[in-house]
Amino acid sequence: VIVVDSGPGVRRDLVAEADALRAGGDAVGALGLYTAAAAEYENPPAALCVKLARIYHRLGSLADAHQWVMRVVDGGDDFVSWQAAAAVLGACADESWSAARHARVAVLGSYTTTQFVPLLQLAARRVGVALDTYECAYGQYRQEILDPASSLYRFGPDFIVLMVHERELDLPAISETPDQEIERELARWTTLWDVAAQHSTARVVQCLFAPPSVEPLGHLAARLTGSRQHMLHALNLRLGDAAGNRVSVVDCARLASRVGLEHWFDARYWHLAKHAVAPAMQPLLARHTAAVLAAELGLTRKCLVLDLDNTLWGGVVGEDGAGGVQIGGTAVGEAFADFQQTLLDYKRKGLLLAICSKNNLADAREPFETRPDMRLSLGDFACFVADWRPKAEQVNDVAHQLDLGLDSLVFVDDNPAERELIRQSLPEVEVLTLPDEPAQFSVALAEHPLLETRALTAEDAQRAGQYAARARILASREAATSLDAFHRSLEMEAVVAPFTDADLPRIAQLISKSNQFNLTTRRHSVQRLEEFRQDPHCVHFSLRLRDRFTDHGLVSVLIALQRGTALDIDTWLMSCRVIGRTVEAAMFGELCHAAERRGCDRIDGTYIRSSKNGMVADLFERFGFERARGGDEAVVRWEYDLSDHGSIASPFIQTGSAVDMNDGRS
Amino acid sequence: MDVHSRLESVFRDVFDDDGLQIHAAMSAPDIEAWDSLAHINLMMRIEDTFGVHFTNAELGGFANVGELERFLAERSTAGA
Repeated sequence: VIVVDSGPGVRRDLVAEADALRAGGDAVGALGLYTAAAAEYENPPAALCVKLARIYHRLGSLADAHQWVMRVVDGGDDFVSWQAAAAVLGACADESWSAARHARVAVLGSYTTTQFVPLLQLAARRVGVALDTYECAYGQYRQEILDPASSLYRFGPDFIVLMVHERELDLPAISETPDQEIERELARWTTLWDVAAQHSTARVVQCLFAPPSVEPLGHLAARLTGSRQHMLHALNLRLGDAAGNRVSVVDCARLASRVGLEHWFDARYWHLAKHAVAPAMQPLLARHTAAVLAAELGLTRKCLVLDLDNTLWGGVVGEDGAGGVQIGGTAVGEAFADFQQTLLDYKRKGLLLAICSKNNLADAREPFETRPDMRLSLGDFACFVADWRPKAEQVNDVAHQLDLGLDSLVFVDDNPAERELIRQSLPEVEVLTLPDEPAQFSVALAEHPLLETRALTAEDAQRAGQYAARARILASREAATSLDAFHRSLEMEAVVAPFTDADLPRIAQLISKSNQFNLTTRRHSVQRLEEFRQDPHCVHFSLRLRDRFTDHGLVSVLIALQRGTALDIDTWLMSCRVIGRTVEAAMFGELCHAAERRGCDRIDGTYIRSSKNGMVADLFERFGFERARGGDEAVVRWEYDLSDHGSIASPFIQTGSAVDMNDGRS
Repeated sequence: MDVHSRLESVFRDVFDDDGLQIHAAMSAPDIEAWDSLAHINLMMRIEDTFGVHFTNAELGGFANVGELERFLAERSTAGA
């Protein structure tokens, strides 16, 4: 987490005073104090940037609001502040805040991504990309990719980001045949890439897999090629190989190891909300994902414009002499040598290096010619400017000499005053906030979001396009790739049962929380549920689902009331964890059976529109219901004639009943 | 600042509402924007502000603001 404060510490008093003014309605007064507080920092903390963004937004100064929304990203990986900033960004979606690029990005998750998506929009804005985003329903990534008619493809994505995590992998704790396990998993993912390429022109971005922090095999895992840990590492390597130039990756394994696996995965948020990446780490993941997108969109900066004194070596050559500057040898000198080595690696991956120094030219060159510990040599620089002009002029000169736009440059200078000057006079130039500690220079550089590289050579980059084209004309590998085959491969089994005492708490929880797949959103109390159970005219049942990988537990609930020879669906909902598994067909099949057993010939349904249940607006229609008279767009009534249509079932789910169903008692 | 005022300012910040006043009986249904997503923001901000670490059960488990305040009064170690 790179936050560099050049200011003398946190000015809580000023901020608290401003908060009080704002609460009292004095927005302008508060703005003055927040601005004064922010002036203490080179990169003000994210929380303070959000306060400024919000207040400018409230005052209608949208350009200023935008500027402060952007600065949140540089103000530290603070999840809550990022969420707030993303909300301001969302509220200004109609504003013509300029962006270098626009991109349509589909985020397909194996875990909860609802809070990640706004963070990605924010991080992308910071690198000049305005995103239109699409998010699949929870865990639906395979279905969306495999189904050519899915809303994913209707969205028309430029990028498909596979936000997937290690629990999704079908790798056992120990395997006798690890190579086969790895091949199978590899094929599963590369098949998804291929199918996505057949049905769209989108570039796939695959997240690699961070290992779990707990390893029951302990250190033995490292010695067993059949251990899950071993297979997981191997799979990451194989995925990277397979990705080559046709698929981008976000190396979550490296990000996770950098911050520590115990920070990357917070079991509490997994259990609470199925976050496979701890919320606190999601800004980091968003920054890196945005960096990968920016590279694909050609936004990577081309040239590092470097200062010399106290940036590439310790000391000032004009005062200390070429022999006196610190490079190699001492601890400080080693830190600078190390930074030079890093710069050399950036040059090797294709970045240009330029010098921009306030020195006499001969003085500036001398250490490179005389000091053996210097890692960089004069030949490494595409351009060498050393004179006494202001830095802004020098930077312009560099751009001119290299025939680059200012928006191709990153300015690297240890002097905060020079950095501020460049920020103000040449806003197109990215300014790296160098920490005070030279040993951390390389880290700051690595975190810059516009230095990600797409491919090592132009041919590599071009080949990426060819891969996509070839993949699109590949004949569909029908057996392995269809949605039907996927559903069959899950070997799903369901158990249907009327409400029991033991299930009632879970049923009540689903009824109080389910939003998306919920036809009527009626929040029945536990007491009301008890009444349903006592009512002989009521059909009530729940469904438990398990598949080859997981026991999903109790995931769907249905309540219907018999009126004459019709069953009227009062409540029908499903956990979003199992959307897209045809559970709804299994549920409806059970209801049809219950209706038949009761001698009913009709099923009535109601769709009550809420802000969140759009995904089931056409559910009844999909099952063959006809729209009934009455109602309106907010409350739509539907009828299903059993004698015409017969009953329906999921062909993919084996359904059994745990107990006798509660029907025929009227 | 006492726990109540500090907690109230966290609520105001998270829900971006300067007029928000919290009281002991208040719970999620009382604030329109307090959904499961906002709940995570709220709990994370409370952890930061009060220097506490919620257990798995506590993250989802407080019945109302009063219960949360009592918990914070007992456990809070961070200075105002």
